[in-house]
Amino acid sequence: MVQVESRGPSSPATSPPVVHFDHVTKIYRGGGGVHDLTLDVNAGEVLGFLGPNGAGKTTTIRLLLDLIRPSTGTIDVFGLDSRRNSVAIRRRVGYLPGDLALYEHLSARDVLSHFAHLRGGPSWPTIRALADILELDLERPIRSLSRGTRQKVGIVAALMGDPELLVLDEPTSGLDPLVQRQVHEMLRAAADAGHSVFLSSHILSEVAQVADRVGLIRDGRLVAVERVVDLQQHAAHLIDARLRGTPAREDYASLPGVTSCTVNDHDLHLEVAGDLRPVIAALAASDLDDLSVREPSLEEVFLSFYDNVD
Amino acid sequence: MTTSTELPDSGPAGLKSIAARALREERGALVGWTIGVVTFCLVMLSIFPSIHGNANFAQLLNAYPEALRKMFQVENYTTGPGYLRAEVFSFVAPLLLTLFAVLWGSDLSAGEEERRTIDLLLANPVSRRRFVLEKWLALIVGTLILAAALAIALGVIGPLFKLHVGWSRLTAEVLASWLFAVAFGTLGLSLGAATGRRGLARGVTTTLALASYLLSTLSTLVSWLRPVRNLSLWQHTLGVDPLGSGFHLDRIALVVVVTLAVGAAGLWAFDRRDLAT
Repeated sequence: MVQVESRGPSSPATSPPVVHFDHVTKIYRGGGGVHDLTLDVNAGEVLGFLGPNGAGKTTTIRLLLDLIRPSTGTIDVFGLDSRRNSVAIRRRVGYLPGDLALYEHLSARDVLSHFAHLRGGPSWPTIRALADILELDLERPIRSLSRGTRQKVGIVAALMGDPELLVLDEPTSGLDPLVQRQVHEMLRAAADAGHSVFLSSHILSEVAQVADRVGLIRDGRLVAVERVVDLQQHAAHLIDARLRGTPAREDYASLPGVTSCTVNDHDLHLEVAGDLRPVIAALAASDLDDLSVREPSLEEVFLSFYDNVD
Repeated sequence: MTTSTELPDSGPAGLKSIAARALREERGALVGWTIGVVTFCLVMLSIFPSIHGNANFAQLLNAYPEALRKMFQVENYTTGPGYLRAEVFSFVAPLLLTLFAVLWGSDLSAGEEERRTIDLLLANPVSRRRFVLEKWLALIVGTLILAAALAIALGVIGPLFKLHVGWSRLTAEVLASWLFAVAFGTLGLSLGAATGRRGLARGVTTTLALASYLLSTLSTLVSWLRPVRNLSLWQHTLGVDPLGSGFHLDRIALVVVVTLAVGAAGLWAFDRRDLAT
């Protein structure tokens, strides 16, 4: 079992974590679930929870909200027990389910005002303002809305109470890139205001944009938790270049950041960690025919980084 | 967008609670069921004038074996109460009420779970108990509206067709039908909450309601059923003939207690289980 505590400071160690999973295991009869999960979400941080579909992200989030119960282990939220104090916790939490389902025959306005009443909370102008930012038409019935628009309704529902903790399961799925960015900005603003965000995703770039730390979950086990800045510094890019002439290997292998260099006739393959500029500059000065730069998959980055540190 | 500025601090009225939303969601169905029940009453009442005081008809029925007369409750068929008992309350009206209650009750919790809307709903500071209790409250109110429609249809339209039973006896009979319906509606809600499976709740509850009816009715013919007929809620509600004998407070209390126990068991189970993904 890999040690999962984060290295390096992530937030002031003085304040207790907002969410504390303590050796939580949830086993389903058909397999799946999460195993021995220990993880903290700190005040004022965005924690990205990353993993392929079926890895246990949604299970973890539903455990936190007391929709399902752990087989063993405990979860504290705001220092309160997730089972005994569930209602008190949920008063301070905004939640967006991954598999969002809304009342089909009601309008977005009816759904949101219903939840606002149940929360005894947000005023209509607050809801209206959030909807306006996302350009959400509140009067149409849910059944006539596209997936992306439904997702906006879910996001407004999660954010409207200005909760201390946001728990979002794949929040930007179905949203176009412009709206995704707006949502990210809203999440950053919440974190900057001292609130915490626990966000799941299977897309590294999304998490990297918005999160302070990232936890990787695979097959129900938390594999690693790292700060995004550390990851970015170490993240390798894969560069494939085709040159008119035959590249000299030593010209490129010696460039800063290059960790691997292979030459095959006109083709040059590089792995670059950190800053790309020296390599791009060298390639720009050469007789370049074709160039592709790709990010490795999240697993590759994460695991290569983790292996390197260990 | 003009509406949002007109309502500074609240959304539309009527969705302030889970119970209110449940009733709103059922509104269309409730109107349909009400029309059905009232239409059934109208049809039955419109036939009554040709039967009322018809001696030939009475003779014909008296020629039936006693067992059949008991089973189909056709005693005093040509009188107002006798006719209502046989044609309205022996089966169809309580069945309509019960079917409505069971179909809806089974959907109230399990349907919300199967449609997956429960995740977002219970992300609000609402306990699972409150969720089920509010749904149950909606069931009580909704079925009460349907029962009231039945009582009003018979009590108001009946006299136009020379059918007089008196409000007290009619109320006692409708109350008994309603109690039976609510008991099984509650069972549907509880089973749905305990399992998260609407189809299962509907199937099991409908079967038990029919078994309850058959046990009570057949026990008038089949002697060996008699010792166990007290297991039937039909026996304690419509089986004691409130139309002929008025309110039976002890039986009403019994049915209420059983209903509350069934509801409490559902709450208990729902509070302890994982909600379906």
